[in-house]
Amino acid sequence: MSAKKSTHTDAERSTSAVVAKDVGKAYEIYDKPIHRLYDLILPGGPRCRHFWAVRNVYLDVPHGSTVGIVGENGAGKSTLLKLLTGVTQPTTGTIQTSGRVASLLELGAGFHPEFSGRDNIFLNCSILGMSEEEIEERFESIVTFSELGEFIDRPVKTYSSGMYVRLGFSVASSVDPDILLIDEALSVGDEHFKSKCVNWLNEFREQGKTTIFVSHDLGAVRSMCQHVVMLDRGEIIEQGDAETVADAYLKRMKERGNERLSMMNRGETEYPCWGTGEIEITAMGMFDAADEAAHVFETGKAFVVRLEYKALLDTQRPVFGLGIYRSDGTYVNGSNHNWRDTPIEIEEIRAGEEGTVEMSFDSMPLLGGQYYLTTFLYDHSKASPTAIDHREHALTFEVIDGAQHQHGLLYLPTRWRMERREGGEVSTTESLS
Amino acid sequence: MFGTLRDLYAHRRLLREFVVRDLKARYVGSSMGFFWSVVFPLLNLAVYFFVFRLIMEVRFGDKMSPEASAMWMLAGITVWTAFAETISRSTNCLVENSNLIQKVVFPSEVLPAFLTVSSLINMMIGIPLVLLGVGFFILRGDTAGFVETASLASIGPLDGQIIDPGPDRTLRWGVSMICLPVLMLGQGVFTLGLGYFLSTLNLFLRDTYHLVGVMVTFWMFGTPIFYPVQLVEQARGGQFAFILDVNPMHWLIESYREVLLFGSWPQLELIGPFLLVAVGTFALGSAFFRSQKARFPDLL
Repeated sequence: MSAKKSTHTDAERSTSAVVAKDVGKAYEIYDKPIHRLYDLILPGGPRCRHFWAVRNVYLDVPHGSTVGIVGENGAGKSTLLKLLTGVTQPTTGTIQTSGRVASLLELGAGFHPEFSGRDNIFLNCSILGMSEEEIEERFESIVTFSELGEFIDRPVKTYSSGMYVRLGFSVASSVDPDILLIDEALSVGDEHFKSKCVNWLNEFREQGKTTIFVSHDLGAVRSMCQHVVMLDRGEIIEQGDAETVADAYLKRMKERGNERLSMMNRGETEYPCWGTGEIEITAMGMFDAADEAAHVFETGKAFVVRLEYKALLDTQRPVFGLGIYRSDGTYVNGSNHNWRDTPIEIEEIRAGEEGTVEMSFDSMPLLGGQYYLTTFLYDHSKASPTAIDHREHALTFEVIDGAQHQHGLLYLPTRWRMERREGGEVSTTESLS
Repeated sequence: MFGTLRDLYAHRRLLREFVVRDLKARYVGSSMGFFWSVVFPLLNLAVYFFVFRLIMEVRFGDKMSPEASAMWMLAGITVWTAFAETISRSTNCLVENSNLIQKVVFPSEVLPAFLTVSSLINMMIGIPLVLLGVGFFILRGDTAGFVETASLASIGPLDGQIIDPGPDRTLRWGVSMICLPVLMLGQGVFTLGLGYFLSTLNLFLRDTYHLVGVMVTFWMFGTPIFYPVQLVEQARGGQFAFILDVNPMHWLIESYREVLLFGSWPQLELIGPFLLVAVGTFALGSAFFRSQKARFPDLL
């Protein structure tokens, strides 16, 4: 975390907490490090290329608002946040902030790894410009909030990522900032501390303070932000109310994911496949609710997997199957058309026959993440099935959870019911979805 | 220069925090702790004394006893150690603390400053050791041998043919000790100026850190710490005498010796130029540092 006191009286008089005008940040890329030195002392430069991490950014954040910044990796979100914090200086344009700015950038940012948690609290509070009395006064509450217990006297390099976040958040929250900048810091840490942070943030916002945060969590963006900014390749491509921009971002993520994954899925030989080859799978694909070929799906929406086959030889009792794996290798689900209450049984497929196998899912149960699809085609005519055409992790697909109602691996349909009894009165509330 | 001083003053609490932390790490972390500041110069002394005085039999004037020359060396070693340590640590300090500089709005001028202050404080623990030694010799009455010893007064014409033994330079304490704060302040300003320059340069050229390591060794042997000044003046007919005239650390160490060992006032011809050079170095070093400071997060 860090903070600075603004000297820009212009912004203080206005109603804006942060005003960015034509802000751009170019990083110098030197092919040889020594050229940097040449540029410093010799004429005839610059000898570098420029990479614009952020460009043409205009922002006007009113006091008391909560603004979300979304964008893909490398879109310039973190750079923009660093610019707003004042850690780096913009190459072009101006940034004006009014009030004390505190930020939670990356994990452990601003901590000295060799120092103990206690020393780091003092260090950080000193950087933030607090007086000794102020630090002494708040020290206990910082330690209590962080729930670090005896770890407070150990060097922070021994901390887990969750402990880093706890310490960082505790310090940042204690400086009483007017503007808080958060860079996905909340995504780490246990649920208990997370909810504590969210509570604190809600209080913070209710006090009319300003929050700007970068997040991949569209659920959080939707529920917390009034205004969302979407960045792409360093430029703002859309900004507006949370719902509109979040939807646009979701759509964009899907498009981008489809492009990327369709490139990836084209390389057919890159996955392991084996089998006797009596029947060949000639094509396979995944399709969304609108029956468009897709590689990115939304939780809760319908999708279809379709296989085309062509038989080269006569085959007895072939069975088509499907396996879904999460990117970490977890086997999520496996099924085929034979193991069912009403199985489809095929006695024989003759040479030359072609056909389509379709597996439909009414509702995508997976939550956000990357998954693999494995297709099985096995000969069940013998005691133990033998592979005819087995394609391991043949398709890669992504699931985006736009609603973010649940956490974990699967979306499970649940019903909630609450019965509240007070005195003789009983009131019941139910939520079916 | 004044901007840097102002910033340092504004962040004095942070500076103190770092100094305390660093001193703690020095003394708490290791098993010998506090004693290292005493043991380290003594071990150094033992090595150099053995090599220069006993093996190579470097002459420290006709009448200087081995003990007295040991004191003479120790004063130099104590000051040099503080200087050299700060220079090499400062050079790398921005890189080492990149986590602070890149992630938070951090007053990076504090970094070389805390290293300077910390090693000066560490040196203050070594100085009583020198004084203890001097006291021991005074009490024993063994003050002979410092006649003819190095000091500017003994520097003769550059051809080195005639050496003026100068005034009687017996080992003694004097009120001149009140000059110590001035010397240390000058040393701090000089060291910090170099630290600002080198730490910034190191961001442009990471090899600086390694170069500094070698340069410090060159510089140490180019400074009369283990051998008397006259030897430099006399070597090859005074051919190398110029290195005394361009070496501010020689001026500083000589001044320390005047004050600590001989109880006399530091010579204006030495301390005057040193203070000027120190302030100049600080002005240039801190100006370079400040001019590039906004770019530090990008350079790291």
